[in-house]
Amino acid sequence: MTQSSTTDVVLAAGLRLPQAKAAGAYAREDVGHLGSALVRELIARTALDPSEIDELIAGCAGPPHDQANPARVIALRAGLPRSTPAYTVGRNCASGMQAVTSAWEQIASGRAECVLAMGVEVMSAYPLVYNHRAVSFFSRLARARTLGQRLKVFGSLRPSMFAPRIAITEGLTDPVSGMIMGSTAELLARDFGITRDDCDAYALKSHLRAAAARDAGRFGDEIAPHLPLSSDGPSLQSDDGIRADQSREALAKLRPYFEKPDGVVTVGNACPITDGATALLVTTAQKARDLGLEPLARIRDHAWSGCDPARMGIGPVHATAKVLARTGMELSDMDTIELNEAFAAQVIACERAFASDDYAREHLGRDRALGEIDPERLNPNGGAIALGHPVGATGARLLLTTAHELKKKGGGVGLATLCIGGGQGGAVILERAS
Amino acid sequence: MSGTESCVRLDVLEHGHVARLTLDPPGKDNVVFDGPLLRDLDERLAEVEELPRLEGLILCGRSPLEFCYGADVDALASVADPSEAELVVRMGQEVFGRLFRLGRSGGGPVRTVAAVGGAVPGGAFEISLACDSIVLTRDPSTRIGLPEVKLGIVPGWGGSQRLPRRTGIVTAVEAITSGRLYRDRAALKLGLVDRLAWPGDLLRIAERFALGLERPRTRRPRWKKLLVDRNPIVAGVVRTKVVDAIESKTGGHYPAPLAAVDLVLDAPNTELSAGLEKELRVAVDLLGSPVSRSLVGIFRATEAAKRLGRVDGEKVAAAGRVGVVGAGVMGAGIASQAARCGIEARVVDMQVDALDRAVTAHRALVKKSRVPAPQKRGAIDRFEAGVGPQGLGRAECVIEAVPENLELKRKVLADLESRVPRECILATNTSTLPVGDMTSGLVRPERVVGLHFFNPVDRMPLVEVIRAESTSDETVARACALALKLKKTPVLVADRPGFLVNRLLAPYLDEALALVDEGASPRGLDALAKAFGLPMGPLELLDTVGLDVAAHSADSLHGAFGPRVARPGRLDRFVQSGELGGKSGRGIWITEDGKRRVNPRLGERAAGAGPELSGDKDTILDRLLLPMVTEAARCLDEGVVRSGEEIDLATVYGTGFPPFRGGLWSWARSRGAKALTERLDRLHDEVASSDEQRAERFACEVDLARLLR
Repeated sequence: MTQSSTTDVVLAAGLRLPQAKAAGAYAREDVGHLGSALVRELIARTALDPSEIDELIAGCAGPPHDQANPARVIALRAGLPRSTPAYTVGRNCASGMQAVTSAWEQIASGRAECVLAMGVEVMSAYPLVYNHRAVSFFSRLARARTLGQRLKVFGSLRPSMFAPRIAITEGLTDPVSGMIMGSTAELLARDFGITRDDCDAYALKSHLRAAAARDAGRFGDEIAPHLPLSSDGPSLQSDDGIRADQSREALAKLRPYFEKPDGVVTVGNACPITDGATALLVTTAQKARDLGLEPLARIRDHAWSGCDPARMGIGPVHATAKVLARTGMELSDMDTIELNEAFAAQVIACERAFASDDYAREHLGRDRALGEIDPERLNPNGGAIALGHPVGATGARLLLTTAHELKKKGGGVGLATLCIGGGQGGAVILERAS
Repeated sequence: MSGTESCVRLDVLEHGHVARLTLDPPGKDNVVFDGPLLRDLDERLAEVEELPRLEGLILCGRSPLEFCYGADVDALASVADPSEAELVVRMGQEVFGRLFRLGRSGGGPVRTVAAVGGAVPGGAFEISLACDSIVLTRDPSTRIGLPEVKLGIVPGWGGSQRLPRRTGIVTAVEAITSGRLYRDRAALKLGLVDRLAWPGDLLRIAERFALGLERPRTRRPRWKKLLVDRNPIVAGVVRTKVVDAIESKTGGHYPAPLAAVDLVLDAPNTELSAGLEKELRVAVDLLGSPVSRSLVGIFRATEAAKRLGRVDGEKVAAAGRVGVVGAGVMGAGIASQAARCGIEARVVDMQVDALDRAVTAHRALVKKSRVPAPQKRGAIDRFEAGVGPQGLGRAECVIEAVPENLELKRKVLADLESRVPRECILATNTSTLPVGDMTSGLVRPERVVGLHFFNPVDRMPLVEVIRAESTSDETVARACALALKLKKTPVLVADRPGFLVNRLLAPYLDEALALVDEGASPRGLDALAKAFGLPMGPLELLDTVGLDVAAHSADSLHGAFGPRVARPGRLDRFVQSGELGGKSGRGIWITEDGKRRVNPRLGERAAGAGPELSGDKDTILDRLLLPMVTEAARCLDEGVVRSGEEIDLATVYGTGFPPFRGGLWSWARSRGAKALTERLDRLHDEVASSDEQRAERFACEVDLARLLR
């Protein structure tokens, strides 16, 4: 494996919109408007000349049916020059992180100097789809010429044809293992002996940390307020999934959602379905200076890794092992870690796998564990359980949050990592000089 | 090129089977039907008549998107008497008639085709109607129609006769009485034209028509002509409906649309030649009418205003990105207008709720607008709202619209200076404060200019562009260019208190309140102003402006000019009780259960007054309006405004002064200097008996007669 390029690639600026629970504030938004509103705000705040942007890359796990390439729609609606190309990337839950690593690769290879990388997801807009029997009915009807033929087709109409396929449920199910994401977390919980109590305690911590961070103004520089389409105010100022008044008792009352009666995953200790967008300006250190921007952080390196699709939640361990090996760093070198909270059970499973010599030997080809994570450094501002997980946007959001945390700490090294439906993990190491 | 070169080019194509006439007057940017063009066209037509093997004739312009702008409005304006008017109209009719007789529909041997596009208004469309078929360029810039009524006249070169024959009476009556200009697709759908062609195909397709390879789309079927167009019952119903609609819209002040209804509805039952003669009579009558003169004057002044925004004759580019500081009603309105006119607009404010209201209002306005969905999305996208002053680093113009407070505005401008690019102009949307006072302490005062918009911004077409002493020519030009891009009419005014419009309005509004104090009926006063043609009465206007705003304006103008212009304190009791007019639901007028009554705060007598005015209505009207005239004369004398035409423009677009009266200055001029002076003297004496100071507004120390000349 080669070491990272000599080019310093930095996150020169970044911004996100408040994340909103699906079917809520952004229910009437679409990817094009949400994404372009954010990009406009970022360009305005940085006073960047849009023609400086060589490419726009957007991660989106579920592009709407009327926007085959949401990145291009966003670029044009945000007022980028028509000559600026744009493409959309998909790596399921890591699409937003993929946008950044794709940008990194383009810059490191000298094909671009300044790339706007972003993640955007409007899960509210995921459709209900006619099932194949209904589709066949409509196509036969379209082909019927005579009245007799038409009547015959109508005769084949059955109520079952109107049972819709729910895009969001099917989208969150891995077709290879046939398991919905919640069940993969349940499997990890059984593997690692994680209890319901462990999960609820973790979820509570996420909410309380997020509420504290929000109240301390920790997200002030990170979030641009947004007035959603078809709302007449007030505009959304911060993530609306945070529950400052969350209690263990209330969490304990919830029934397991995926596996009744003995499962551990409830809607309280899993991330909610969410809409949101995050954008990052990725460029070289030199270019950032030329543009008069003080970079948030430098991208040290990144790695992608595969794992068992039925245990996709363990992906961060695999990807982190890989990126640490590439950079020759240790887990203990990380001053802050953002590990996406798809499910509390999955985060705890990662913590235990990181600390397990057995897991390291069996799965990572190492003879020693990667190490224990200091809980204080793990998701210090809460995570997706409270803030939400707009699938395609989260990867970029983790990087933005990590970069701001490094800035707050006055420098250091940070890890952003997440699990990916289908059995993968992604990890990026950021650093900021003190 | 020599001066003798013809304005119309004749080319013979296809081995002599097709001739092409191109309107291309040398050395003229805008092609219009003036004397030379009509004469040359007549000569060329005579040559065409002599061509032996001719099958088809194409009439076209310099390019597929350039044909002709119709009659020469400047020539119309200079027509002195009816006989000259008749000459102009008859000349056009005869030349167009010659073309018509050459064509098959006129009984001639040739297939005549008009191949037109871009702007095809008035006379340009009328000559097309004289052809057998019309091929129109398919392009977003194409506009075709008969807008003559907007100048107070009717189509005089056959349009009122040939359009109903082509499209039937219903379409024709709508097109001619509304004066609407239609886009390409609508024109085809309504049958105004026969075929659309992309610009590159226009001449090729016209040639196919000329050679008979393609026929005009089916003409109006005979049964429709009989059962609809020539049916007296249908004509009667259409007449009643259209006349009612016109009268409710124009209040009977505009004769042209009504005359057009008669011409159009009678056309199917009249011989063409008789119809044309009748059209000529009506057109000549209207051409000399005061209404038409007024409307033509406003049109020309508007066109002249469009030529602002240049430096050394070169157009300057309007800003592509503007910032607006302050998300109040004005700031939000300006930003919204910009976003809807294709400009990136960022409105900033410290108050999140004000920004939310601005965004919401903008989205509502966009939703209501009649443009295609992608354009609506664009207008919504271009509107940015930001908390705090960040995000203006790329603006080309920043307009401040913070509350009227000199210190605040100074601070905002000084702060902006460090945030915006060097080339960015800084505009202040002040209505009363001197722009010059705001520039003290600035590093680059030459880029500061006043841009006074009127409320509501989306509906009020006027912008006063205020040049402070330090303002550079380039800044003024760029401010005008921006106003034009915002689809507003700029009027250049000097940096004097109240600028032009507010300074004129102040004595008018003050006099209305004084009249009420003297016992005039409020209802009667408003009705009188409306009967004169103003969109609302003075008291309604006060409520619309907002009594706090009006009181503030009166205070500051009183400070500058004394009681001649306004007397402070008249509205204090309203302002103190929070009854500020339309925005607070109660003002001078109170609307309850759909009924309006006068607020008792205006005085017991006023509240109890009936609907009728006691006293001579003309005198009362002059009491209201003549103070504006004397103030306008002072403004001209002081150089606040450069010309009477601009006073007309500002009063029509800024105060709703009736366009058919030509604007305040034209109206004053039509009264005659002598009669006006006598009237003023009488009113002065009348008012002076009770209020010496106020009477000054009826005195004119400047030479009114000279100024009116």
